[in-house]
Amino acid sequence: MAFNILLVDDSQTVRAVITKALKLAGVEIGQLYEASNGVEALQVLDKEWIDLMFADISMPVMDGEQLVAQLAASGAIKSLPVVIVSSAGGEPRIRRLKELGVRDYILKPFVPEQIRKVVENVMGVPSHD
Amino acid sequence: MTENVRPTMEVTVLAVVEKLTFMFGEHVVADEITVNAEPWVSARMEFSGDVHGSLEVAVPQSLQPEIAANILGLETDGEPSPEVLDDALRELLNVVCGHVIVALAGNRTDFDLTPPRNAALALDQVTQMLGDPDTTCYLMDDEPLLLNLKFAQRWP
Repeated sequence: MAFNILLVDDSQTVRAVITKALKLAGVEIGQLYEASNGVEALQVLDKEWIDLMFADISMPVMDGEQLVAQLAASGAIKSLPVVIVSSAGGEPRIRRLKELGVRDYILKPFVPEQIRKVVENVMGVPSHD
Repeated sequence: MTENVRPTMEVTVLAVVEKLTFMFGEHVVADEITVNAEPWVSARMEFSGDVHGSLEVAVPQSLQPEIAANILGLETDGEPSPEVLDDALRELLNVVCGHVIVALAGNRTDFDLTPPRNAALALDQVTQMLGDPDTTCYLMDDEPLLLNLKFAQRWP
């Protein structure tokens, strides 16, 4: 099963690394969309069907926590699995984000196996090796 | 930087940089760092919340391609663009910063990180950074890497 995936991070390096990790993990990608902050992510979400979103916390314009709060306020987060990929891994923030509906949290640096496990857990289907 | 902060920082930095870049390193004293005439670059960011301060990384420009290529898993032929080189250094700093704060202040620390930004460093700025007691020094694959941690209050 192929997923439409949205990557939200102001670093093109991180977006490229996550893309590579998804491929190495055997995750089937339908369309891959990229955004460099929360505002751009909301614009993509307005236009496209997204099955799974990976988002960073620390971004200019609108950070990941603000993005998640907007998705929670609109109710969109109930049908859009959101996984945070960040280096800001304090417990208070992780707890706050999960209370808002974030499905999982990956601490950087990560390995493709972590991405595979998270996709399987969040989407409920095995990926292909 | 107090002497109880330095060892934690050094161990954390090496572990994170090795995991992120697959480059193996060691922490060294400032006297072991050679600053020659080649250009240096830096990335700097601030953190705020339960703890406040800044972290800056500085490396010789010649180390940037290896950092970027290793983070991205690129083959050695063909150098990444200058934008990618700078972005990779910012990302290295970003990941190190998050881990250093948690290692020093604990898992229950609530903090925000500002997006890092790059700057070119003049040689006298590198020398000044080397002499700063808040700087820790590393050799990554025999190339120097400096990290300057400043915080606005004592660590909890």
